[in-house]
Amino acid sequence: MRLLRLLPLVVLAGAALAEGPGGLTVPAFADGSVSEAEGLEAWARIEAVLTHPRCVNCHVESGAPPMWSGPEFETAVPHGMNIQGGESRIGAELLPCQSCHVTSTLPNEVPHAAPHAGMDWRLAPPEFVWFDVPGPAICTQLRDPERNGGRDGPALIEHITHDAEEQGFITWGLDPGAGREPAPGDLQAHLDDTAAWVAAGMPCPE
Amino acid sequence: MGRVRTITRRTLLVGSAAIAGGVAFGAYRLLTDPANPLRDDLGAGEAALTPWVKITGEGITLITPHTDLGQGAYHMQAALIAEEMDLALGQFTVDPGPPAPAYYNTAMGGEMAPFRSNDDRFRAEAARHVFAGITKLIGLMGTGGSSSVPDSFDKLRQAGATARETLKAAAAQVHGLAVADLATEAGAVILPDGTRVPYTGLAGAAAAIAPVTDVPLRDPSEWRLIGQPMQRLDIVAKSTGTQAYGIDLRLEGMVHAAVRTNPRRGDGMRRFDAEAARAMPGVIEVVEVTGGIAVVANNTWRAFRAVEAIEIDWADAPYPAEQADHWAAVEAAFDPDFLDATWRADGDVVTALGGAEVIEAEYRAPYVAHQPLEPLNAVALVTDEAVDIWVSHQFQSFVARQVAGVTGHSADQVRYHQQYAGGSFGHRLEWDNVRLCAEIANAMRGTPVKLTYTREEDFAQDYPRQIGMARGRGAVADGRVQALDLSVANVSPMRSQVSRMGLSAPGPDLQIAAGGWNQPFAIPHFRYRAYAVPGLAPVSSWRSVGASSQGFFASAFLDELIHAAGADPLEERLRLCDWDLARGVLESVADMSDWGTDPGPGRGRGLAFVESFGVPVAEVVEVTATEAGIRIDRVHVAVDVGTVVDPVTFENQVQGGVVWGLGHAMNCQITYAGGVAQQSNYHAHAGMRLNQCPEIFVRNVGAALGAKGVGEPPVPPAAPALAAAIFDATGQRLREMPFDKHVRFV
Amino acid sequence: MQFTVNGQTREAEVEPDMPLLWVLRDELGLTGTKYGCGVAQCGACTVHVDGLAVRSCQLPAGAAEGAEIVTIEGLGTPDAPHAVQQAWIEAQVAQCGYCQSGQIMQAAWLLKSNPTPTDEEIDAVMSGNLCRCGTYPRIRAAVHAAATKLREA
Repeated sequence: MRLLRLLPLVVLAGAALAEGPGGLTVPAFADGSVSEAEGLEAWARIEAVLTHPRCVNCHVESGAPPMWSGPEFETAVPHGMNIQGGESRIGAELLPCQSCHVTSTLPNEVPHAAPHAGMDWRLAPPEFVWFDVPGPAICTQLRDPERNGGRDGPALIEHITHDAEEQGFITWGLDPGAGREPAPGDLQAHLDDTAAWVAAGMPCPE
Repeated sequence: MGRVRTITRRTLLVGSAAIAGGVAFGAYRLLTDPANPLRDDLGAGEAALTPWVKITGEGITLITPHTDLGQGAYHMQAALIAEEMDLALGQFTVDPGPPAPAYYNTAMGGEMAPFRSNDDRFRAEAARHVFAGITKLIGLMGTGGSSSVPDSFDKLRQAGATARETLKAAAAQVHGLAVADLATEAGAVILPDGTRVPYTGLAGAAAAIAPVTDVPLRDPSEWRLIGQPMQRLDIVAKSTGTQAYGIDLRLEGMVHAAVRTNPRRGDGMRRFDAEAARAMPGVIEVVEVTGGIAVVANNTWRAFRAVEAIEIDWADAPYPAEQADHWAAVEAAFDPDFLDATWRADGDVVTALGGAEVIEAEYRAPYVAHQPLEPLNAVALVTDEAVDIWVSHQFQSFVARQVAGVTGHSADQVRYHQQYAGGSFGHRLEWDNVRLCAEIANAMRGTPVKLTYTREEDFAQDYPRQIGMARGRGAVADGRVQALDLSVANVSPMRSQVSRMGLSAPGPDLQIAAGGWNQPFAIPHFRYRAYAVPGLAPVSSWRSVGASSQGFFASAFLDELIHAAGADPLEERLRLCDWDLARGVLESVADMSDWGTDPGPGRGRGLAFVESFGVPVAEVVEVTATEAGIRIDRVHVAVDVGTVVDPVTFENQVQGGVVWGLGHAMNCQITYAGGVAQQSNYHAHAGMRLNQCPEIFVRNVGAALGAKGVGEPPVPPAAPALAAAIFDATGQRLREMPFDKHVRFV
Repeated sequence: MQFTVNGQTREAEVEPDMPLLWVLRDELGLTGTKYGCGVAQCGACTVHVDGLAVRSCQLPAGAAEGAEIVTIEGLGTPDAPHAVQQAWIEAQVAQCGYCQSGQIMQAAWLLKSNPTPTDEEIDAVMSGNLCRCGTYPRIRAAVHAAATKLREA
């Protein structure tokens, strides 16, 4: 099956180039400059992002549907229309995500429309389950290369800057537009917290 | 509107006097047939045989005044004429015709009469005719109340028969033959020597003679079309994207409008700032309209974007801002001050419940939106001399008056062009889109304007199904239901709706009791009281109207009493049943569903019966309680509409009614926050999706006389049958719609 | 901007963020594709873009430029209907018919990507297309019938 490829329409603002990848400034922490306590404080802010519906709703287990949440729903509900991500995580087996979620860096402006990002819309890999997972467990998951896509600390930081360059899902989750409640903070703060947490040795709450 | 009020008052005086004096038929006979609207604009060589048939040298047009909302009304009407006229499908075109008093809807008035369908005493029959007469006097041409088939069934066949015999008489005169020697077949008169004289060649001759009336209708054994599967006239267009709906109309020089009016349904705008909108691409004009503001642009999407960019401070809602206060108002209406009518008082329910162990339950049905898939729209062209309006509406004969009231023209300067509708379900009984389009076009005289609602505006301005509650008290003894005392409190849809037409609806509103008070069950002590809730959100007719919620209340509470009595839901209903047509559908659905057999582990079966619009319907729903939630497996439906005109459309309509009833009971409600409906699109008001759709088996018993409509009657039993099935499978009673507040569905 | 619609090159002066739906309906006069919800909830605007069934209300014109677009008018005609359209006619699926352009475009894509779909697969692929009239039993039957027609063709 041929999947639709849509070219990003708007190249990221030129001003970003001076600041670094994706318009972000990667903080440089000297070795040992971030204490464990400071690392845990940073984690608390990261956790608030990662457990937010904008993030967890697409971090669902294999075979589970993506989730919807919002003021119209009392709790998170399965994505309507009998949608399944499938093993491909892009719906390739049945109804591709791209039937509705286009790939575009145009702003998300229409409330309740299928959101879009600069990356092809997809579910996170099934080993990255966050939905209904407590924050501390997500923490240990995130520092385990077996369960985080084989990433060490610097790779986790690069994951964020790469996402910013592509206007991917982390970028979207923190600025989903169209009246959706964003995950708390902004992308630069999330990057700063992640860098601090990495520098502190990726501490996780007991 | 002064003239309308005068007519209404006189109508009601005539109607009331007739009921009191027992001269129902007299009142009906007082009326003379309205003028034939097709006589006026006939050209040379044209003959108008009846208001439903038009023949020229070029072809035959059948006039099908009932609006096609998707229910197949155009096809049904044309088939009835073609049956008697000996036309084949494909030999004629169909035209909705101009709105005219001649197209009165006698059936819709009939179903407004407050007598149980099994009550055939003289008084009931007489009242039905009076109500029909009222409708005729108003000159109401409407589509609703599942009335198109009963209104048309005799009338249009008679029209076809009159046409056929008049054409034969014309042929006899032209060819010097006796009428008795002529036959008709496939659009032609057949002479004794086999010569075929097409009807189109007889138009002039037929026009010159008096129409042949009092033609007996054919025996059903001679029918070629009625009762046979037919290919719907519109099915090819609707399968190839070539069916044009109102929203698809394109006129030379047309501009596109979008509108926002007060989502709180109050006075309109306190302040607005349209500066940004005026500067947006393609914007031609910003027009203040009643209750809000419109943007006119050179493309629909540009108009949508610009109207959304206007900053508006809206006036407050004339009803409670928060949903909890709506429910509180409904609860408070169970009070003698708000009693609309006691619809039934069999036996002595007070005494019967006095010494008994009383079973009590409370039920709720929320506001629900119509939201047909084609958004509201209209096209209008206003000039100093005339107004043309293209729109699909269910009250065709009122459109011109509504438009004229906006533009300052007289009603006879307004030309109404009926459009195909992409669904309605009662949505196209309202006037906002018609009036607003006329206002915008009036501000831009000489330019055709298409107004298209965004889906969000359509949701915000939907007049939903009435909100309501029921409180049931009952008693059982010796394995039988002995006493049932049901009180319902609803917002009155009829009063709300009629008020927006500048009319009033005196007397109790049948619709706030419909589907519950008229249960054909001879419970020894049976009282049914309806309370009207004042001051809440404006509501309207929603497919099956009052019965959509009362059917749930009444059937579900009866089910609880039967369960308490330890009786079988089917057997106890049959024991209590006092209407043979109801018994027929109950026995039929039992047979279809293998009622009484074990449904299997984790599975359940539920039965419901509701009569609405004179049609008895029994449904059995079968569900399975799975780990992922309730799955609806199968639905069996037995109805009795008498004669079915088109079995394919009939089955499709019944299945669609079941899907409508189940889907909205599962997951739909409109709730208000800050005075605004919280559900703005289908993500929050989905109804049923394909993956949730059960197999639906349909049977018509066919014992009823005549032919009745089936657009609405399958809706009311669906929700209570589903609730009963879930109880059977899980032991959980559902007393509040939507059910997904309490259970998960697959 | 240039668009390739039903094999023809068409021009329209539109903003890059105008959804393809409105280019088709208002600029190119192809009204068989319907506006229902504007947010990918109903599927009435489904067209084929480079072979995939997509909601044209979500696809910006700028992203559709240069792609191969097929609408209901390009799938088949009243005189020469596509096998899916023929199945829809024979099963008499439509009531109001407003959703059926989208249903048919979605079903045509389904049968191209999966010529022998099971009921479960039909349920998965077709549940994004809303039918307010409730023609679902007939849609299921027509998809199976169309699959048979395409296999035998």
